[in-house]
Amino acid sequence: MNIFIAYQLVALAMLGLGLYGLILRRRLIGMMIGVELMINGAGLSIVTTAQLTPASAQLGQLGTLLVMGLAAAEATLVLAIITVVYRRFNTIEEQKISTLKG
Amino acid sequence: MEKMAYLAFGFYTFLCLGGALWAVTALSLVRAFTGLVTALFGVAGLYFLLAAPFIGLMQILIYVGAVAVLIFFAIVITGASREAENRSITTKRKRCLALLAGLVPPAFLATAILKYSVVTTNTVTHVSIEDLGRGLLGPYGLVFELISVVLFAAMAGAVLLGFKRRQ
Repeated sequence: MNIFIAYQLVALAMLGLGLYGLILRRRLIGMMIGVELMINGAGLSIVTTAQLTPASAQLGQLGTLLVMGLAAAEATLVLAIITVVYRRFNTIEEQKISTLKG
Repeated sequence: MEKMAYLAFGFYTFLCLGGALWAVTALSLVRAFTGLVTALFGVAGLYFLLAAPFIGLMQILIYVGAVAVLIFFAIVITGASREAENRSITTKRKRCLALLAGLVPPAFLATAILKYSVVTTNTVTHVSIEDLGRGLLGPYGLVFELISVVLFAAMAGAVLLGFKRRQ
């Protein structure tokens, strides 16, 4: 149980909590918060592997910067979609916006 | 000095996981948002502890400065802070299923990590900001251009989605 495993377990705990929030929450923004937590856990895992193993540290840090940039782009689009859904249905609860039968 | 490092690790892990727990269990979405911001600061602190200060500052700039503010504006626009989440509708069965979903994948990955040991170095490699910049402009230049294209596409898409139809 060295410090590398400790960091990875923190990242995995964030993944678990993000998944729990994603499944449990009934409003779309609550689910978005879960997704952001998972992405952060993944970024932490990448930087930990880059810094604490013989893997290339520069590549890992650049990869994490890209993950952050992509998370920002994805959050932008997801929240724009949520705004459109709110305008259409006037609510953002998952049960009320599902129009597929069954 | 090592004790300080362990103390800092414990503090930032507490911020990170405590914030995440608060974010997924709070009834009000604004409280959940505050928990998310706390977790993001905790992760930034862990980045600083891993001797990646540039990534830590970028975490604060991008996540707390942009993504969290975006989520907050979405909460305001959709009026999510006004609706109260009805506790009785989230049944015990759904809570147990969510707990199972939240426990099984990380447990699987954790057994993989604990079982197969990786060669680790206890001293952290320091990468200067110059190296990161030269990497982005040199060998990884295509990636740099592509992330700009992705961000531009996201901006254009968000603006397009936000247009209101002319009545």
